[in-house]
Amino acid sequence: MKQTALHGEHIRLGAKMVEFSGWEMPVLYTSIIEEHHATRERAGIFDICHMGEFIVRGPGAASLLSGLIPTDLGRLEPTKAMYSCLVNEQGGTVDDLFIYMRDADDFFLVVNASRRETDLAWIQGHAPSSGVEIVDVSDDTAKIDLQGPRSTEIVEAVFQDADIGDLRRFYSLGITCDGIDLMISQTGYTGERGYELYAPAAFAVSLWNRLLEAGKPLGLVPVGLGARDTLRLEAGYSLYGHELTDEISPVEAGLGWLVNSPDAYIGKDVLTSQKEEGASREIVCLRMKDKGIPRDGYPVVRDGREVGVITSGGFSPTFDVGVALALVERGSAPVGESVSVSMRGRPKTAEIVPRPLYPYNG
Amino acid sequence: MSDIPKDLKYTEEHEWVRMEGSVGVCGITDYAQEMLTDIVYVELPEVDIEIGQGEQVAVVESVKAVSDVYAPLSGTIVEINEELEDSPEMLNDDPYGEGWIFKIEVEDDNEQEGLMDAEEYAAFIESMEEEE
Repeated sequence: MKQTALHGEHIRLGAKMVEFSGWEMPVLYTSIIEEHHATRERAGIFDICHMGEFIVRGPGAASLLSGLIPTDLGRLEPTKAMYSCLVNEQGGTVDDLFIYMRDADDFFLVVNASRRETDLAWIQGHAPSSGVEIVDVSDDTAKIDLQGPRSTEIVEAVFQDADIGDLRRFYSLGITCDGIDLMISQTGYTGERGYELYAPAAFAVSLWNRLLEAGKPLGLVPVGLGARDTLRLEAGYSLYGHELTDEISPVEAGLGWLVNSPDAYIGKDVLTSQKEEGASREIVCLRMKDKGIPRDGYPVVRDGREVGVITSGGFSPTFDVGVALALVERGSAPVGESVSVSMRGRPKTAEIVPRPLYPYNG
Repeated sequence: MSDIPKDLKYTEEHEWVRMEGSVGVCGITDYAQEMLTDIVYVELPEVDIEIGQGEQVAVVESVKAVSDVYAPLSGTIVEINEELEDSPEMLNDDPYGEGWIFKIEVEDDNEQEGLMDAEEYAAFIESMEEEE
C-alpha cells in the first residue's frame, strides 16, 4: 500500500488506518461523528495527498481540455478553477475533476486517486503530437484541505502576508511560505467554507503542523476519510465509483449544469440530448423515516417495484438519521414521495428530499 | 487494550454472555465496539422467538459498517434492551453494562462449555491482530 507524506503524522495522532484506492489512509482519529461535527461547527484538516494532480500546458492545452469536458472552458480566467468531468463516447464518466487555470495555456488538474492512471492515459491518448505538455505531478504534490467556518481565520494566521480575505470561492492564490511556493484555493468537498492547499510533498509535514498548531485554539481537529464521506454525502456531492462511473453520465448524476460548452467534445451528442430530453435515470436524495441505515447497493422500491439502487448511503451526523443518494428510473421517485429501501430483505420507509440535504454554508 | 471482564464467556464473533440462573445476558465486546466505532443503530430481535447457537439474532450498525450479532447460545429470547433503539451509543459507552442487547433463556447448559473464558478470548484477539 502507498503512504502519503503525512503517514507518520497520522500514526502519531493515533489514527485508525485503512486501505483506500491503494493508499493507507486515516479513516478516523477519534470518532467519525465528532470529526464531522467539528468540521461543521469549527474546522477540520484533511490529508488528501492521495489524489492525483496533472499539469497540462502549452499552446494546445486549452483546445485539448475543451475537447474532453462538457463544461465551457471559456468561463475560466487565470487563477479561477472549475469542477467538471472527463466523458467517454457513450456519455459515461471517465472521472470528475477540478481544473485550475494558472495561465491562459497552463492548467492544473486534480483527479481521483483511483482514476489517476486511467485519466492520464485518456488525456494523453487524445493529445496532439505537439503543442501540449502533460505532466503527472501527483507524487511530488501534497494536498491538504482545511474546511469549516473557522478555516479562514486559521489560514490567515498561518499566511499573514497573503490576502486570503480577498480570495473568492473557486479562485486560487499563489503563496510563498519559507521560500516554498504553495497554491491555495477557496474550494472543498464538505459543504462548508474552506480551502484546499497544494504544496511540494517535502513541505507537507511542516504545512500540516503549522495549520494544526494555528487552528488548535479555534477547535481545529484532524479529520479522516470517514467524516469526509459523511460530510460530502450531506452536501450532496458525487463520489466517483458511486454516483459517477464509466456507465453513469454527468446528466444522470444530476450534474447537467456542467453541460454548457459550445465547443466540440467527446460525448457531446449523448449529453446534450440527455440534457434536453431527459436521461432514463437520475440520482435522487433520500432521508429515512424508519430507523436503519441505507447502504450502497440496497434496492429502492416504489409501489412494489424496484426502481433503483442506493449509490451512497450512510448515517448523517448533522440530521441524526440515515441518508442516501440513489440512482433510480427518472420520474419514479419525485421529491416529497415515499419509497422503501430494502435493508437485507426488510422494507424500510424513506422520503425523497431535495438535494443537497445540507446547502453550502459559505 | 480492550476491556475483557473475567466473569463472562465469549464467542469468536465477539459476543459475550453473562449467566444469571438459566438466563444468559448477551452483548458485544469492548473489542467489537472499538472496531465498529460510532454505533448509530441497533436492530433488536423479537421477544419469544427461539434461536439456535450461532444464528444471526441482531444487527449493529456503525457510521462505517453493518455487523451481524449471533446468538452465543441456543434458547428463547426473553427480553431485549429497547433503550438501545434511542441510545445506540450505549453500546460504545458501556458494552458490558447498559449496552447489553438481549437475554436468552438457555436450553442446553452444555453449550456454554464451547465458549471462551476471558483468558482464551484475550489470546484469540491477540492472534487476530497478529494476522493483520
